[in-house]
Amino acid sequence: MRKYILTRILKSILSIFAVVSIIIVMLFTMIDRTKIFENDPVLKKQKGDARTTYIYKKYDELGYMDYQRKVDLCKGVYDDASDYNACLVNGSEKQGEALGVWERKGYTVEYLKSGDPLVYHDYSALELLGHFYSQLIVVDSKNAVQDEANPDLERRYYIGKNPANGTPAILCSGCQYKYQLYFNGSFPFIHQNKITFNFGNSYPSNQGIPTVQVINEGQGAIKPYEQTFDTGLTESSALIQTSCQYKPTLDKLDSKRFSDHYASCLSAHESPSMVGTSYLMGIISLIIAYAFGIPAAIDMAQHKDKFRDKLGIAYINLLVALPSMAFIFFMRSIGTKLGLPDKFPQLGFGDIRSWIMPTVILALLSTPSLMMWLRRYMIDQSNADYVKFARAKGLSEKEIFRHHILRNAIIPIVNGIPSSIILCISGALITESAFAVPGMGKMLPNAINQLNNNMVITLTFIFTALSILAVLIGDLLMVAVDPRISLTAKGGE
Amino acid sequence: MSENRNIILSVKNLEVKFKVRDRILTAIRNISMDFEEGKVVAIVGESGSGKSVFTKTFTGMLEINGEVSQGEIWFEGQDLAKITNPAEWEKIRGKKIATVFQDPMTSLNPVKTIGDQISEVIIKHQGKSKSEAKQVAIDLMAKVGIHNPELRFDEYPFMYSGGMRQRIVIAIALACRPKILICDEPTTALDVTIQAQIIRLIKDLAQEYGFTTIYITHDLGVVANVADTVAVMYAGQIIEYGRVDEIFYDSRHPYTWGLMSSLPQLGEKGEELFAIRGTPPSLFEEIKGDAFAPRNNYAMKIDYEEEPPFFKVSDTHYAKTWLLDPRAPHVEPPAAVQELHARMLALTAKGGTYGERE
Repeated sequence: MRKYILTRILKSILSIFAVVSIIIVMLFTMIDRTKIFENDPVLKKQKGDARTTYIYKKYDELGYMDYQRKVDLCKGVYDDASDYNACLVNGSEKQGEALGVWERKGYTVEYLKSGDPLVYHDYSALELLGHFYSQLIVVDSKNAVQDEANPDLERRYYIGKNPANGTPAILCSGCQYKYQLYFNGSFPFIHQNKITFNFGNSYPSNQGIPTVQVINEGQGAIKPYEQTFDTGLTESSALIQTSCQYKPTLDKLDSKRFSDHYASCLSAHESPSMVGTSYLMGIISLIIAYAFGIPAAIDMAQHKDKFRDKLGIAYINLLVALPSMAFIFFMRSIGTKLGLPDKFPQLGFGDIRSWIMPTVILALLSTPSLMMWLRRYMIDQSNADYVKFARAKGLSEKEIFRHHILRNAIIPIVNGIPSSIILCISGALITESAFAVPGMGKMLPNAINQLNNNMVITLTFIFTALSILAVLIGDLLMVAVDPRISLTAKGGE
Repeated sequence: MSENRNIILSVKNLEVKFKVRDRILTAIRNISMDFEEGKVVAIVGESGSGKSVFTKTFTGMLEINGEVSQGEIWFEGQDLAKITNPAEWEKIRGKKIATVFQDPMTSLNPVKTIGDQISEVIIKHQGKSKSEAKQVAIDLMAKVGIHNPELRFDEYPFMYSGGMRQRIVIAIALACRPKILICDEPTTALDVTIQAQIIRLIKDLAQEYGFTTIYITHDLGVVANVADTVAVMYAGQIIEYGRVDEIFYDSRHPYTWGLMSSLPQLGEKGEELFAIRGTPPSLFEEIKGDAFAPRNNYAMKIDYEEEPPFFKVSDTHYAKTWLLDPRAPHVEPPAAVQELHARMLALTAKGGTYGERE
């Protein structure tokens, strides 16, 4: 069993690796890279050399190429100060030699209108992947921060407490993050900043913000709350202290609050993040769907070919046949008639009325397949020989249903439950768009449209990893409910 | 038919009809039969002759589209044909009349432990507690020949072989000490060596518990081995009924002759195996005269016109054929049937099980 799970996890990691690699190579090599600037408002204002260098700088940042300005290319070749200075003079012999060195390394030389040279090298597919994976996982350590302006930075781990709730926490000085391990009330209750994923920054929307933060950070107005900082200052602030990172230069306000350099913090927001919104909506609708679908399917199977079964089949057919778009808009107008908002932001996160229609619609949309399959599995099982034998044993129909048929029919359904739960996170595109819900549903299509490569990669990575995890958990659950299945890798334990 | 004995189950003029796509199929056509307590009765006949349907009426387990349209089934002073309430059936099924089905591989619930499936019926019918039921179940498992029953109590059916599963099915059927055990082709799905073991087991248990056994089978070898009396069914009727030796060595109905001649074990090397020509009549239509007449080499004019009554051969032996009418010409049964005794003895000499009977 353990061996099996280990192999599964290994295979899962390989699959994620494969999917993400394919996406990266596709994004960076098959899409015209000049198009990424179409949605960039900054570039429109720039002209001449500034524009050219901006473009190269962005390409470099986004991982298309390695780009060196004149200063950098000279520094890269000459250690000696006089050589370096000579290299900075356009047209000089030293500069020509330096450019020769870069050219031999496979770089292309180009000159700006000012006469300044620059060199760049487009990454090949392999280099693209190497570049991405080499910076994907960031392990924080007490030597992570190297700040020349702050040579006396203490380097140690120590036990402190989470200022928000007083629980113990592992803190670090010298790391990128001050709070390495801490507890709070939100799932999964224990949090860490030791190992973080770096998917790069979002571009062109949400410029400069890491993609993970875009997905994760709260939305709406910031939400200040009373808190005490480590200088002893108690004031109303929205800063989340456990998220604080090293900040090289502190401003006045920072010095008032923090005794150290860890002053770059996220803020608490009024509304949940995009992930949070989609997840909350998904989970509630899932609970509604199962709470309605499972009893309905059981009832239908128990009264096969009777009126209520036919009614249920009519309902299933209707929902399957109706385009979901039409259904969503139809339901939305019913909602409007009942006085519910047709757009989520009208009343916002805090008002339950905003949630009713989208969750109910999502729930109803997932009931037909659940009902159809469970009903079918139950009817299949009720024709099985063991049911006949159970009847011959003198068990009542009710006992047969409860102790025999349901146990068997639920097995294939159980396999799908983790997927349903975990993949709520990906949001529901059409429903969320119809109600303008600020959730995950539109993230991927938007990112693709805007050529927000890092965001596409981030989402691909998250969705792939979660799908694989969901399938794994589903299979493990099957083992729990079906004694015939045992997990053994090839060749046994 | 046979009076003044201990009759446990008495069927009178039973008729069963099925509704199949707006047509009515008469599966059982006016059967009357008594079952003697403690005896082994075998019901034989080809597929579709109504063997299973007949016994299903004893436990109210007809398919949803079938019904007992006429007749009575008397058991312990109660007419089972009149029961409509499922709760009343639950008091009979499993408790008084138990059934063992053909395929042990599918008769047990794959996701419940063996122990659970045995205890379940003990708890239900005898109102025992879970731990008491477990003890009873373990005793039963030992009785049907499961080694280390304590260890195997919590195992699942897939961990058992076919023969062992059939033993469990038998244990479940006998858990409440039923009066009647219906074995619906209990060995068809098992391999030959296991078949003999299971037959032996049922036989031994019948002696110990004193229940009446009703076998439904195609296998005349099994019949010869275990049955006290045999009923031959054809097209929803019993056409011949008698003690096992009477049926085997002194059968009177041409259909029984056909059945006996068809035994593949009796075929001679190089000879073509015997088969009864034609197919059974459609039960959707009214059958005029003797249902077997169109396939019968000995058919007379009257066979096509009027249904034969039961003719008495001996006190225990009856057959439903006009050939037994005093006016009928005398016919000899086919050679294969006449030689049956000799051939079967010859088979036994080669190591068969025939002749093991007391």
